[in-house]
Amino acid sequence: MTAPRVQLMATCLCDAFFDDVARATVEVLEHLGCEVVFPEDQTCCGQPAFNSGDWPAARAVARHALRVFDGALPVVVPSGSCARMVSHGALLLFEGEGDAAQAGALAGRTWELGDFVVRHLGVSRWPGKLPLKVAFHRSCHSRGTAYADGALTLLRSIDGLEVLEIGEPDQCCGFGGTFSVGFPQISRAIGTLKVEHVLAAAPDVLVSADSSCLMHVGGLAEKTGRPLRTRHLAQVLRDALQSGGAERPEAGA
Amino acid sequence: MSGEPVDAFAAAQAEGRRNAVRLGAKAEYDKRLKTLGRDYADPDSLRRLAGDIKQHTLDHLDVYLERAVAQLESHGAKVHFAADGEAACQAVLEILAARGAKRVVKTKSMATEEVELGAFLERHGVESVETDLGEFVVQLDKDRPSHIVKPIMHRDRREVARTFEGHGLGAYDDTPEVITRRARQHLRRKYLEADVGISGANFVSAESGRLVLVTNEGNSRFCLAATRCHIAVVGIEKLVPRDRDLAVFLNLLARSATGQTLSVYTEFIAGPRAAGQPDGPEEMHVIFLDNGRSEILAGDCREILRCIRCGACLNVCPVYRQASGHAYRGVYSGPVGAVLTPLLAGEHFADYADLPRASSLCGACNEVCPVDIPLPDLLLRLRDRGKRAGVRPAGAAPSMASFARLASRPASWRRALAAGKLLRLVPSFLRPRALRVWEQNHALPSWRGGAFRAWMKTRARPETKTAPP
Amino acid sequence: MSDARRLIFDRVKAALAGVADKRPLPDYPPDAARTRGAQSPGDPIGRFTERLEAVRGRAFTEPGALGAWLRQQGATRGYCDPALADWLGPALGPGIALATVFERARVDDFQFGVTRARGAIAETGSLILDDATTASRLGALAPWIHVALVAPGDVLPDVAAALAALGDDPNVIFCTGPSKTADVEGILIEGVHGPGEQVALIHPFGRT
Repeated sequence: MTAPRVQLMATCLCDAFFDDVARATVEVLEHLGCEVVFPEDQTCCGQPAFNSGDWPAARAVARHALRVFDGALPVVVPSGSCARMVSHGALLLFEGEGDAAQAGALAGRTWELGDFVVRHLGVSRWPGKLPLKVAFHRSCHSRGTAYADGALTLLRSIDGLEVLEIGEPDQCCGFGGTFSVGFPQISRAIGTLKVEHVLAAAPDVLVSADSSCLMHVGGLAEKTGRPLRTRHLAQVLRDALQSGGAERPEAGA
Repeated sequence: MSGEPVDAFAAAQAEGRRNAVRLGAKAEYDKRLKTLGRDYADPDSLRRLAGDIKQHTLDHLDVYLERAVAQLESHGAKVHFAADGEAACQAVLEILAARGAKRVVKTKSMATEEVELGAFLERHGVESVETDLGEFVVQLDKDRPSHIVKPIMHRDRREVARTFEGHGLGAYDDTPEVITRRARQHLRRKYLEADVGISGANFVSAESGRLVLVTNEGNSRFCLAATRCHIAVVGIEKLVPRDRDLAVFLNLLARSATGQTLSVYTEFIAGPRAAGQPDGPEEMHVIFLDNGRSEILAGDCREILRCIRCGACLNVCPVYRQASGHAYRGVYSGPVGAVLTPLLAGEHFADYADLPRASSLCGACNEVCPVDIPLPDLLLRLRDRGKRAGVRPAGAAPSMASFARLASRPASWRRALAAGKLLRLVPSFLRPRALRVWEQNHALPSWRGGAFRAWMKTRARPETKTAPP
Repeated sequence: MSDARRLIFDRVKAALAGVADKRPLPDYPPDAARTRGAQSPGDPIGRFTERLEAVRGRAFTEPGALGAWLRQQGATRGYCDPALADWLGPALGPGIALATVFERARVDDFQFGVTRARGAIAETGSLILDDATTASRLGALAPWIHVALVAPGDVLPDVAAALAALGDDPNVIFCTGPSKTADVEGILIEGVHGPGEQVALIHPFGRT
């Protein structure tokens, strides 16, 4: 059996700001035995335009994504928010359109990273040793999905890593994409509550499966002089691999 | 830099009020979670069941409405229909005029607030007294309720005490118990002097025609014990198929709203008082109200009509908690208000098209909704509708047209990634407005456009490995 | 009026004509909404009493004990359903006066009201009132203390059973504890427009 081939949807945020998250995603997937294909024509899933209500613009972008990621290979994306756009938002966007079936097909084979590792590859124990106190932010797009479960399963399995309880863990971070610039004061107020809950737990690092939330919360904290170390799930998993004990985890472990 | 109207309103609030709303809403949310978790192994499946029953009812509303009307009429109630708010108010006035009635006591009814019945009656020389304590205070203050279930969540005891003092209800005393006792005494007189009691209804069972009224204070019972005529104003969407279905809704309603198992009084009203009962209405009227509901039923946001007005979505919403109810400029606030208000506004949709944007789309509202309304999807549909209606946001959110051009042309995209690092060289006042707004509150991450792609290109491909056993 | 009726029905029908996938009425078991803890039949009277006390109501099984409590509350003048007065008067003990007509003009003279309940709900601690068994709606509502007489055999297990038994009465009320509000700063106050004390007298004399 050859190595499972997957396509990587890197996300526009990683393309612009968080290249290390995309790198870590590739390294994690390759460690699990996957061959990672990166279609170079990819841009964005279309969510910013979709959420803004400019659905014609969103369709233009999402159609491009349908073309780029066409085929049968699973698509893995290090973002619950983008995964949800492809698996749910796009279905609303293409309701009644000619490419509805194609959108449905892509939706059916697109996976958020943690969910892919745990449910698709069957890996629930992660090797390595990281003595870290982690505050985990359960991003809102994980609601009603298995994304947060995947991430927490993997994090909790890492030797030495402790996932801390934080106050009001289910409350939004307040980013919401263009919401953060259309409603900046409310967005900041919501995010500040999150910063305070996280800081109160005294973690070593804030971890999430979504760079957008980390960018918002981390950015707020830094701006108010209370810097908070943030790390994406992919980076923590890669850090654990590099800590030693990098045996490839058994499927079903 | 000002954002959209809801944002500006939120920021202008006094911190004390903002905290009162946030903590009050959070307290109700916590109670909901505790009670549902204690009483049900799988509350979510019950919510989905309730959602299915409601959606089925809406999908067959003509049948169920017909059935309810027949039942009510067979029990001696008179049934009226009002196409809009004006018609509903006129219908009420005609019933009052036929009885020579000049004094009315009212229970809490969102439908009557929607059609502004109280103000209409006042203009026509009828005294209409709100009997729910919170609504009573709102009426005295000529204010508006700020929450579906807790109308004066935005007020503290000192403000209420001053209101009472200002209206001759005793010297200043802000003890909640004293405030309540004074309201009890004052309103007791009003019930007994009133000619007619006006209510809404939480549900109508099509099978039996029963109106279901859900309250805690006893005001609705008093309206229907002390007066001789009952008028109920009820939205056409309040129907449920059968009496037995009420078990699902009643068990979810009070838990979702305040964490109670049942509210104190659940009244099932099928008609005027029974023969032999000395107290209560001899005459009962039900006015079924459309006021835009049939239009919503025809559209792509019809699921909003499932709403049973529990307020759970308000309580959990991070935006509501920061902004409070008045930010939504209507009778309904929070997530449900952000959908209903623009829809009920009909041809004035554009005036409220900013409300669906006042959301981070976190989805917590759908998670707590007892009838599983897909609120985030509806907010998104309304954003699309707003854009198509040509509504331009007041805030700094960037236009998507140029972004879409960039993101559908890979070569342009790759060039933009490379060029982005030059943005730092652009003076602040020339940068895009969205970026400037972002930087007011956040440290900007470093621009790394192109770095990942370069890495992917230049690294050696790993050997194809055999898969694990 | 009938023009409005026709108009609205036409609008509703037109709205629904475009709906492709109408949702069917879900088939679900009668106990789908039954709460945990009400699953096992157990002792309905015991469960009812426990749930009533959880919502800050009170239960008595003996009129003598009820009378002692009323006197302790300083509640010595009450309204009573005439069908119960001859039995209850002596049974409550000395010092308590019962009137069998509820006069609106003297609404605040009555410190308590005694009426019959049609039944009760064990799952929620609720009393079931209706027009047929409540001699005066105001008598059950206006005084500070309401005593509802319910027969042990009329205690139903849960809300579903109570809904199945709604019957023909035009005014059925599930009454779950004393009236209350938390409108002022979320602080719970009991006794708003309705009773501040909700009492159940569980006794066979209440047999309906």
